Amino acid sequence: MNLVRAEVERLAARRFVQLMVLLLAVAFTVTTATTLLGSHRPTTQEMYAAQTQAAQAVAAMEADHTRCLRIRAGEIPIMEDAGYVPADCGELDPARMERLPLATDYLTSVFVFSEEARGLLYFLIAFLVLFGFLVGASYIGADLNSGGVVNLLLWRPGRLTVLGTKLGTLVGVVAALSVLASALYLGTFWTIGQTAGVPGPLGGEFWGQLGAIYGRGLVLVLLTTVLGFGIATLGRHTSAALGAVAAYAVVWELGARLVLQILDVARADLLMLSNYLGAWLSGRLELWDDRGCPPGSGVCDGGTYVITWGPALLVLLALTGAVTGSAFAAFRRRDLL
Amino acid sequence: MSAVIEIAGLRKTFRTLRRGSRVAVDGFDMVVEAGQVHGFLGPNGSGKTTTLRALLGLVNADAGELRVLGASAPEQLGRVAGRVGAIVESPQFFGNFTGHRTLRLLAVAGGVPTSRVDEVLDQVGLRDRGEDRVKGYSLGMKQRLAVASALLKNPELLILDEPANGLDPAGMREMRELMRTLAEAGVTVLVSSHLLAEIQLICDHVTIIARGRRVAAGRVDDVLAGHDPHEWRVRVAEPERGAELLRMVGLTVTVHPDDVLVVGGAPESELISSTLGGQGLWVRELTPIRPDLESVFLELTAGATPPRQSDGTAADDALPADTGAAAEPLIELDRTEGRRVDA
Repeated sequence: MNLVRAEVERLAARRFVQLMVLLLAVAFTVTTATTLLGSHRPTTQEMYAAQTQAAQAVAAMEADHTRCLRIRAGEIPIMEDAGYVPADCGELDPARMERLPLATDYLTSVFVFSEEARGLLYFLIAFLVLFGFLVGASYIGADLNSGGVVNLLLWRPGRLTVLGTKLGTLVGVVAALSVLASALYLGTFWTIGQTAGVPGPLGGEFWGQLGAIYGRGLVLVLLTTVLGFGIATLGRHTSAALGAVAAYAVVWELGARLVLQILDVARADLLMLSNYLGAWLSGRLELWDDRGCPPGSGVCDGGTYVITWGPALLVLLALTGAVTGSAFAAFRRRDLL
Repeated sequence: MSAVIEIAGLRKTFRTLRRGSRVAVDGFDMVVEAGQVHGFLGPNGSGKTTTLRALLGLVNADAGELRVLGASAPEQLGRVAGRVGAIVESPQFFGNFTGHRTLRLLAVAGGVPTSRVDEVLDQVGLRDRGEDRVKGYSLGMKQRLAVASALLKNPELLILDEPANGLDPAGMREMRELMRTLAEAGVTVLVSSHLLAEIQLICDHVTIIARGRRVAAGRVDDVLAGHDPHEWRVRVAEPERGAELLRMVGLTVTVHPDDVLVVGGAPESELISSTLGGQGLWVRELTPIRPDLESVFLELTAGATPPRQSDGTAADDALPADTGAAAEPLIELDRTEGRRVDA
């Protein structure tokens, strides 16, 4: 417990951690200020006009659908300016639309929380992923490099205990900070929506989807934190983690992707970690490979394949587990000079 | 007295892809008994730091047995870590932390009352600078901070690797006094250094390592006595005649340009004074030429360089041609009688 207390204090006292928290605060303040300045609470007239426009848009969609049905039934001829008339008029059926026009779509200079929340959350997750990775790498990297770990081992000569406590403390602090920052961040924008904009439709479905993104984002933040810690431990330096990510991005995601394309490798996207990241964060990633289509047919449904969040999580967990396991094994038998 | 440090047959070879393998310690033995201020000497690269790091569990030994306060290292170090204070070669600290905070975090991690922080800062003369950031410290101040960190635990055994590094003469004197105070309080101190005069002043026992092997061990006085050339500095009115008389009784004499005679082969001074006095040559000066630790050290470690091997075939080149033993004979000192035994 004493070791955890000391590590929390050391982590909080690190300049880099303080700088990253400050950057988060600055980004938060700037986003909040610009949102507040660019938004206002709509007047009754503005709301009425927006509702009218939304109702007109829905009515137009219904009219298009009805017209399509009548054309396909032969009740009216197809005119040259008839526009898009699909073979299956169901495509135009407003009842089958994923989302119908809303009054909030027609409000200008008004912050609509329900529409912006997802983008805001993705921004926060991206920042926290970067924060976790850099702090994770620098926390152990600087300690290994400066002799801090050696100092600590003279006091607590249990290597795995010391490294495990450091990792546990790091994950705990990053998780706490992420939860706190997210609550503050989303809470502030929800308040802006209530007072200086409109909240938009905030039903159970909305909160469920947002919660799922938030949960997956938080897991991703923690995984990248552990990954940064693990790579820096293996490389004995913060820059090892940064170098490994840069090398992976250039060599594999760019270089190997090109080579795989030239070699015409089937479903090469399954070999790219970025796709698993995307699939995990969004819940589902649809990819396409023309080898699934008959020759010369162009785009077809058979070429589509999907990575869902389950396999994506397994890949991310396996990678993080392998790196962390190797880091602990290496640290256990390494000579600390 | 009981042994607080026991090292037997310690071996360590460092292997790197780029530089091949390097034998750092090759069958090294050392015993430090309770209450000693024990000097650990050796040329650069002789294996001092590797030995200390192996003792503290920072380097994995290839072979050998190490015990600290009766606990086997590194397996049982946790059992005795609270009783051992240590600094190893040029300790580093976070520059942005103050000296006080650095020590407090160590105290918290080690379960030591934080009230000890001010005490040890006072002990090493850093109390007034405790709230300054470490990056503003001189090398000597960082060294004091390191010693302070080792003292935090109020240790029974203090292991200090080059504690005088970066200290000015006044700092070295304070360090010497600090070690003396600690020794008087019953703390066993193992101190490695290349400052031989310091070791001679501070330590009562010494172990000398060269090429990863022990070449001498025992009480400082006994190690020095083992290398006493039994030489005397003699001044007489007629140096040439005096030299002749002394040679006649079987002594070796060198006449120096300042008319000083250096006389060798006389275990006691009486032979010289009676030989000269008997012939009416009155002795103006008769001084024994005592060896110092530096001359003994240089003699024992002559030509010792870090045992380096670029590959397996060069392994023997780094060590003497016979059995791989050190260039000089191992001097074992019988602890009860202080006799020298050439092995």
